Amino acid sequence: MDNKEMLVIPTLSRSLALWEIASITSSGLIVLWGIQVFADRQPWIGVVPIVLAMVMMIYSHRQRGESARDLGFRLDNFWQSLSLLIVPTLVALALIVFVVWLLNDQRFSPRSFRTRLLFVPLWALFQQYALQGFINRRAMLVWGPGLKSVALVAAIFSVLHMPSPALGLLALIGGLIWGSSYQKQPNLFALCLSHTVVSLVLSLTVPPNLTPFLRIGFKYFGLVF
Amino acid sequence: MSQPTLKLVHVLLGKSIVESLLVAGLAIGFFFTAFPPYFRGWGEVADQRVSGWAVNSALPEERVVVQLFVDGVLVENGVANELRPDVRYAGWANDDYHGYSFALTAMAPGQHEARVYALHKQGDGVNQTLQLLGDPIRFRTDEAGRSTGLVRSK
Repeated sequence: MDNKEMLVIPTLSRSLALWEIASITSSGLIVLWGIQVFADRQPWIGVVPIVLAMVMMIYSHRQRGESARDLGFRLDNFWQSLSLLIVPTLVALALIVFVVWLLNDQRFSPRSFRTRLLFVPLWALFQQYALQGFINRRAMLVWGPGLKSVALVAAIFSVLHMPSPALGLLALIGGLIWGSSYQKQPNLFALCLSHTVVSLVLSLTVPPNLTPFLRIGFKYFGLVF
Repeated sequence: MSQPTLKLVHVLLGKSIVESLLVAGLAIGFFFTAFPPYFRGWGEVADQRVSGWAVNSALPEERVVVQLFVDGVLVENGVANELRPDVRYAGWANDDYHGYSFALTAMAPGQHEARVYALHKQGDGVNQTLQLLGDPIRFRTDEAGRSTGLVRSK
C-alpha cells in the first residue's frame, strides 16, 4: 500500500466527515451568495461549484463504500418512508395555505403554472440527495443517528435558505422532519415527493407581492449585478 | 462502511483551492464591473460654482455623467461636456470637452463639503455606482451664503 492509499484513522475519519459537510455547505453558499448575483450574466459559472460538489460527493461515496441503495435510491421502503412523511407534509401544506391566505388579506389568488416548475422534482431530488444522502449520513458518522445529526442537517438547510425569514423557518422545520424520517427509512424518492409538493404549493399560492420572501441569498435583497 | 483513504483529503483540498480561486475571481470581476478604476477627475470651488473635469480613461470619447453632493445630499446631476482644453493638454483626454460646472445655491454660513461623483451604469442601466472624482472639497460660506474660500486639510 503506497502512501496515497493509506487509510484515514477512525478519529480522523470523523473530522473528515465534518470537513465534507463544510465543503458541501460552502459550495451551496458560493452559488447562492456569489454566483447567482455577481455572475448573473454568466450563469454557467454556477455549474463549477455544483460539479465540484458532485465530484466530491461521488468520490466520497466510493471511498466509503456506499451504494446507491445505501444512500436511499431505492423503492423497497418507499411506502414506509412515505407513511412517516404524509402527516407532517399535509400539516405543513395546511399551514402554508392558511398563512398565505392570512397575509393576502384573507383571499386566494393562485398563480399560473410556469414551465420551470416542471424542474422542481429534479431539483428537490438533488437537494434531498445532498442534504440526506450526503450531509445526514456524514453527520451520523460523527454523532450517530439522533437529534444532534438531524439538527445539523436542519440548520444547514435553513442557512442555505437565508436571509428569507419565512423560507429559513420553513427549511428548518422541513429539515428536522425530513432528516429524522431519513434516519428511520432512508428513501430519497419519498423525500423528493414531499419536498416537491411543498415547493409547488408555495410557488403556486404565494401572490406576486410576497414573492421576495421566496428568494434566497443575495437575490432576497433584489440585487443582481 | 469502509474507511476513506488520504485521497479523499486530497480531493477535499483540491476542491477548496478551486473554489477559493473561483470566489477570488468573482470578487475581482465584480469590482471591475461595479467600480471600474478608469474614472479620472478633479474639482474645485470658485465663484459660487463647483467646477472640474471628468474622464473615463477606458472610453475617452464618452461624456461622463457626474453628480454633485453637498454635505452628503445630492444637489444636481450633470454631464462633463464643457470646454476644458487643459485636460487634453495634460494628456487625460483626446478632446477638449470634459469639463463640468455646478452653480452653488445659498447655504447656511459655515463649513461645507462638496463631493463630485462619476455615475457608472451597468447591466442595461439597472445598476448604478458612484465613484468619487478627486478629493472631497471643503469650503466655507459667509452670512450671505456665498463661498468664501477653501478649507485646507491638515
